[in-house]
Amino acid sequence: MADQRDFYEALGVSRTASQDEIQRAYRKLARTYHPDVNKDPEAEERFKEVSEAYQVLSDPETRRRYDAFGEDFRRVPEGVDPDTWARARAGAGAGPRGGGQWRGAGEGGAWRDVDLEDLFGDMFGGVRGRGWGPAPGADQEAELVLTVEEAYQGGRKTLVLSGGRQIDVSIPAGVTNGQRIRLAGQGGRGASGATPGDLYLIVRIADHPRYRVEGRDIHVALPIAPWEGALGATVSLDTPGGETKVRVPKGTSSGRRLRLRGQGLPNPRGTPGDLYAEVRIMVPEQLTAEEQRLFEELAATSSFDPRRSR
Amino acid sequence: MTYALVRRTTVDAAMDLDSFARATGLHPELARRLVALGLLDARRDATGRLWFPLSQVAVAGRLQRLRAGFALNYAALGLVMDLLDHIAELEAALRNQRTGV
Repeated sequence: MADQRDFYEALGVSRTASQDEIQRAYRKLARTYHPDVNKDPEAEERFKEVSEAYQVLSDPETRRRYDAFGEDFRRVPEGVDPDTWARARAGAGAGPRGGGQWRGAGEGGAWRDVDLEDLFGDMFGGVRGRGWGPAPGADQEAELVLTVEEAYQGGRKTLVLSGGRQIDVSIPAGVTNGQRIRLAGQGGRGASGATPGDLYLIVRIADHPRYRVEGRDIHVALPIAPWEGALGATVSLDTPGGETKVRVPKGTSSGRRLRLRGQGLPNPRGTPGDLYAEVRIMVPEQLTAEEQRLFEELAATSSFDPRRSR
Repeated sequence: MTYALVRRTTVDAAMDLDSFARATGLHPELARRLVALGLLDARRDATGRLWFPLSQVAVAGRLQRLRAGFALNYAALGLVMDLLDHIAELEAALRNQRTGV
């Protein structure tokens, strides 16, 4: 964690907050971001941040040092005057680690650079008394949004989790909405070398302008011309698996669903879903003179009344 | 001596107390105590030895984290675990309802 936030900011309290306020802010944030309560991978980082801030600010002595020396407080030896420290840093013209001259003097002091991993280990594994060992990492959950085509074909996908972590996922063909993909060992980190948790990706198939997915079945609209519905026709239809031919039976009206067996989402462990093409009879917006004449002739000849109950 | 070869299914797979203690980092006595308190599931064989289903390793991890994170006592641990499970079930049901599965 290179860019560390100010501890007060992390807890959302002012620099003059009382110990009670600090405790209250921490408890609230801990309840929100504890990895067993919040499955978002980002929550773990946030929990770590607020826990570290609380560990420092809940102890009046450590808090005093933090107020005096800022993020350097762990490197400054005991008994150093804050003004002297500030002058020494300014004199060295240095960045955060500029006070090199203090480092030798600090060797004997109680402060050392504290590794965040150690600290996290302490948070979950430090309570060793009476037989509680280091705690394994928590399972996490993240949403994996796929297009209908990706769900149909499967394949590799690079996923960027909130918090910047990037993972490559191999998606099996035929995943469905709500399905969980388990990535072993990719969840929360364990304390002090304990096993990490798993990351579960929950699949969500994104809305598609043409396809509607229901379980493994896919629904798609099939626009046809009036004469194709009346006379029957074989028309081509784009499906997630590629173009396919659909036979529209004679006498097909709008709303009729034609089932294409097995053309829905594949199923690695059984029968694939079906594809339902729902017929929609479309008429030309503008008729040519000839079309106009033919439709008028049809209107005059036909006795068909779609509003009369059959 | 002849042993019958029995196929072990993952459902039946279980660890004895020592293996469980090693896998979870819990002291065996504490693991025993958590079973007695109903916080961990284990079955007892005819000789009285405890056998832990593999799923209990994750449960133990969650107990450890919740206890460390919130300083919960045993009774509260049980309640929080039950409530979290209940919420997870409801969330899954809600998700399935939304996605029409």
